[in-house]
Amino acid sequence: MSQLKTSDVLIIGGGIQGASAAYHLAQRGVCVAVVEKDTVSRHASGVNAGGVRLLGRHVAEVELSLESMRRWHQLDDELDADTGFRARSLINIAADEKDLETLAQREVQMHQLGYFHEVRLDQPELRERLPFVAPHCVGGVVSESDGYAIPFHATQAFCHAAKRLGAQFYEGQQVEQIRRVGDSWLVTTATERFQAEHLINCAGAWGDLVSVMMGDNVPMSYSAPMLMITTRMPHFATPVVGAVSRPLSFKQFENGTVLIGGGAKGFADRTANRTRLDYKLIANGAKNAIDFFPIMRTASVNRMWSGLEGYMPDNLPVLGKSARAEKAYHAFAFSAHGFQLGPVVGEVLADLVTTGETRFDLEPLRVNRYERKVL
Amino acid sequence: MSTEPLKQDSYDIAIIGAGPAGMSAAVTACAAGASVVVLDDKPHAGGQIYRGVDHSPLETPDTLGEDYIKGQALTKAFAQSGAEHLRGVNVWHVGDNGEVLLSEQGKTRRLTATQLIIANGAMERPFPIPGWHLPGVMSAGSAQVMLKSDGLVIDDAVFVGTGPLLYLIVAQYIRLGVPVKAVVDTTPKENYLNAAKVGLGVARMPKMLLKGLGLLREIRRAGVPFYRCAEALEVLGDEQATGIRFSAGGQHHEIEASRVFLHQGVIPNLNITRALGLEHHWCEQQLCWKPNLNVWGRSSLAHVAVVGDASGIVGADGAHIMGRIAALMQLESLGFIDKDQRNEQARAGFAQLASMQRFRAFIDALYRPMDAHRIPQQDATVVCRCEERSVADLKAGFALGGKLPDQLKSQTRCGMGPCQGRMCGHTVSELLGQWNEQPVSEIGYYRLRSPMRLLALEELGAFSELAPSHANAKPEVQS
Repeated sequence: MSQLKTSDVLIIGGGIQGASAAYHLAQRGVCVAVVEKDTVSRHASGVNAGGVRLLGRHVAEVELSLESMRRWHQLDDELDADTGFRARSLINIAADEKDLETLAQREVQMHQLGYFHEVRLDQPELRERLPFVAPHCVGGVVSESDGYAIPFHATQAFCHAAKRLGAQFYEGQQVEQIRRVGDSWLVTTATERFQAEHLINCAGAWGDLVSVMMGDNVPMSYSAPMLMITTRMPHFATPVVGAVSRPLSFKQFENGTVLIGGGAKGFADRTANRTRLDYKLIANGAKNAIDFFPIMRTASVNRMWSGLEGYMPDNLPVLGKSARAEKAYHAFAFSAHGFQLGPVVGEVLADLVTTGETRFDLEPLRVNRYERKVL
Repeated sequence: MSTEPLKQDSYDIAIIGAGPAGMSAAVTACAAGASVVVLDDKPHAGGQIYRGVDHSPLETPDTLGEDYIKGQALTKAFAQSGAEHLRGVNVWHVGDNGEVLLSEQGKTRRLTATQLIIANGAMERPFPIPGWHLPGVMSAGSAQVMLKSDGLVIDDAVFVGTGPLLYLIVAQYIRLGVPVKAVVDTTPKENYLNAAKVGLGVARMPKMLLKGLGLLREIRRAGVPFYRCAEALEVLGDEQATGIRFSAGGQHHEIEASRVFLHQGVIPNLNITRALGLEHHWCEQQLCWKPNLNVWGRSSLAHVAVVGDASGIVGADGAHIMGRIAALMQLESLGFIDKDQRNEQARAGFAQLASMQRFRAFIDALYRPMDAHRIPQQDATVVCRCEERSVADLKAGFALGGKLPDQLKSQTRCGMGPCQGRMCGHTVSELLGQWNEQPVSEIGYYRLRSPMRLLALEELGAFSELAPSHANAKPEVQS
């Protein structure tokens, strides 16, 4: 057995949440270590669609998402790296009157809460921003601050910034056991032992397993959201595009390739780190893309893939202190929309570790929100 | 191009590739009564080696040689075997669940099979020297394709590299009266010595060896300038190849040419075997990745066999025998024959394969491409032609943490273009082995995914079985 590695904080999981937490803690002079079972940004953080989205957030996430967006706009400077972030705006398209009604209701709700970042578009406004949109699209809603980044680069940027500030990353270290001994956490992998005062679970699609080892039960499921990318096309869409009521999401990158998502899920084998795609289902995404943008008829699919992601029943993440364990924290199960939250989650976790509190309301995201509830 | 309709959508055995391995597997399997489908992207059976052997555009196809013409026997047996032959179809997905998705005249179809035989052959080894990405530079294999499929030839080209296929195409050109500007042979001197060391079995195969020597003699007799032991290669030109520079025999040479054909052997086509997630290993003798197989060709997935050059370079005769052996194994698994019948019928094939392996070791040693032609050292040399990523770009990505192929790809986009790393994969594995100071076997390869080749978005959309209104009501994923 190798020598015991001690730190103030041990983070389990080298995705964007873990890397961001490591960066924020290291910045405050905290001694921090990250253990990652594979390699940094190997899973959802490295292979997601790269959407940096504030539009359409659940009200429980809006404050976090607003602050994270503010950070995204200066992140390259802050981390001295190229995350690939581009502010391009994000438009959700309304395909019919029912969609417009949905948007009107959402606007009332958001305005009542004091949020004005989502702006409705009528048909001419939509067409002006997306000249290639299909004629049947009647309007939409835009969030100007939104855009995309390159997931692998962004996660690596946090990792490198954290390392420069002294954070240690241990790759290829799968956690086998977690114990609370006296005032500290003891974490063992096949070859290493770690000791820390604080323990943070950023284990993504494996977050429930780590959570149980820490002492919190959680009804997480995991899945494999599917994506595809085309070969280069002539430039036709600047904003990131979604739809109000259809599983459609795409963005055209500067090199002309178009990434198409939409949330359809394949099959996940998380023990083997493998996913299998459901080609009938991902075909819907292709169909929707063409329905909304007929120019996509000429596109060729270059690659289809999926990553492993953790989901909560309400599609909201687990973020905050452990319910049962001392000096333990969670940030996992972001339910396929955690990438944009990465920058703020690191700050929240650093606040919780160093001050015991945060300025954000994490009540709807607590780990035990499903206890004594009928699912 | 005629395409027969699918008679059924499930089979005992699906075979991908109608080259010698696939055809011989089909002939064996059908003879025992199995239902067999053979999927191939060409209009006619034959694979690369016997491409167009029954439908040659040439008036005298026998000028292409006896090894080509003898394919007619196998294509004939295959045509009469009763196997369903889907021609001109592109397989774009092979699942570990026995699912095969293929494009047939612009439409995706799905079929399933209890057993799978992958016989999709080889591809030419990348030849990453300075300037290899320029227009005007092609592979010797593409010269073969043009000749066999369309009867097209190119005058005054320079042929550069090493290996039997290179000499064969040059000899074929000469027989057809096509002027060849020069042959620049990159077989290093030490290979002759190393080959002599393993050459013990060659006495058993004098015919094959003599054939190879005959090709070289034919080239020299035709008066084609022939440079031996060439190194320090560089294709010249900015926008287009204008010539080639190299040193040979202690002298520097420069030949003007707008067409340069490169070739330094072939390697297994990993497109399907990697996307399927089969286990692979690095073969030091052939300097390539190969799927892990047992003697019958069975892969790490019990119902999947890999045969022919897709399993490791074995040549047409080896492929023929392997196809038969794998089919016998699967026939036994399916219950068409018993173990004794399987063993009995495979015995002669195993013996032939064993004697061929000795000859193969000799060929591998003789035509082993030199390190400098596989592992580019100059910063400006392009590694990934799709995304135009050079050695310098990769070095920068490596310094930023791109230690393994997938990480390096995410970091630099090397391998992210239309070929999805199918071309640069071996180069990247070997470069990273060198930079990490680790054996290539530790480095691994890109995670390949379906589609196996570009797939029209519209075709994929039409494959969807749900109307959009029935699909997931609300997009829950947007990030």
